[in-house]
Amino acid sequence: MPLSTEKPLVPQGPQLIAPAARRLVYGSLLLGYLCTLLPWPQGMLWLVPDFALVVLLYWVIHAPHLAGLGLAMALGLVTDATLGGLMGQHALSYTITVFLVIHLRRRLENFEVSGRALHLAPIFLGQQALFLILGLVFRLPDADWRYLVAGLSAVLCWIPLARLFDRLTGWTNEMHIEPAAK
Amino acid sequence: MASAPMFSHAIGLPARLALYGLASLALMVVDSRYDAMTAFRTGSVTLIHPVQAALARPFEYLGEAGEFFTVHGVLLKEKRQLEAERERLATLLQGYNDVQGENARLREMLKLTPLPAVEPMAARITRVLPDPFARKLVIDRGSADGVEAGRPVVDVAGLIGQVTEVYTNSSIITLLTSKDQAAPVQDQRNGLRLIVSGVGSDNLLEVRYLDMHADLKPGDLLTTSGIDGTYPPGIQVAQVLSVEQPRQTPFARAICQPIGHIGQHRYVLILKAKKNAP
Repeated sequence: MPLSTEKPLVPQGPQLIAPAARRLVYGSLLLGYLCTLLPWPQGMLWLVPDFALVVLLYWVIHAPHLAGLGLAMALGLVTDATLGGLMGQHALSYTITVFLVIHLRRRLENFEVSGRALHLAPIFLGQQALFLILGLVFRLPDADWRYLVAGLSAVLCWIPLARLFDRLTGWTNEMHIEPAAK
Repeated sequence: MASAPMFSHAIGLPARLALYGLASLALMVVDSRYDAMTAFRTGSVTLIHPVQAALARPFEYLGEAGEFFTVHGVLLKEKRQLEAERERLATLLQGYNDVQGENARLREMLKLTPLPAVEPMAARITRVLPDPFARKLVIDRGSADGVEAGRPVVDVAGLIGQVTEVYTNSSIITLLTSKDQAAPVQDQRNGLRLIVSGVGSDNLLEVRYLDMHADLKPGDLLTTSGIDGTYPPGIQVAQVLSVEQPRQTPFARAICQPIGHIGQHRYVLILKAKKNAP
């Protein structure tokens, strides 16, 4: 039986995505990290999302060969070293978050950006809660629970960023997500 | 003998999570129990604070551009106010010098040790740390300028906090309003010694474990007593707003308002030990 030429075995044309370039992944992570360092006004610090994490989670879903647990750990340590808190506090919450998202990747394949955001909402919120609870466990003086809102604003920030990155990488929903990270 | 691995399998995802998790936990324990991370932190902060300053600069220029278009009349009015204020302060200062000289003579007669002399150093706030656990500011003076950890930080009105971490060209101030920060104070009206501590709000301080018959009234001014050796005596700290009578505890509690304009300044003063002090 001859192969049908109507439906090629290998995705062709625009469907054959170039996997996200290393430069784009690391460059956007750096930009996200610098965004968190901007001089945000003191009164609204509690609702500034963690931009680096938002970008990281996008690449964990869409470029798992580049962004995995190791990168989460490294990013967490860099954040710990430069913002307040304990060493390892961001690192632990990032690695657990990324672990969850790696498990959710297959499911997210079937959803639009907003659907994916809805799935990520409890994860972002959980990350923020875990971060605060870790601080309390290790007897930091006081946890400001308003910072939970940063988890929600991270979701709101994820939607336009995901749209932007989708466009940059030529991603559409028909495409299959790359094989999972080893 | 060939040493080929029997199982050349990549380490699984849960195992890696466990590994990284344990590593982070170990780091957190080490960081919270020991000072082992100080050197590492100093290095990373020395690298990152210039980056932060560079990032903040465009925003500062924007702010200054806004100020550039201030109306001439407003400036003139401000200038007159400042002149009047300066004259008032100069008059007060004359009396102050007299009193200080007299005080030094009296202390000498009583064979008291002289008070440690301090000199203020201005520092610019470069950043507020987004730390949900404590209220911290980053300033642009560090060990290169002679800042030491533990030095008190004041503004024109009163005490605002303490230097807690010092790096080469920057340091971190923990505000007095941060929970668990405390300062030994004295009531100016009757010399009653107390300890005020932060509650985690920008405009409130409290005196915990206050004797229920303590003579403390709303409106009383609390100044540092100088007993702990950290804060020099006489810096204004807070004004008592109300005293809550005890309900189920044996202690009363007083709510105070900090005198320093916490959360509203761009410049602060660090009180350094004077070089020629004994």
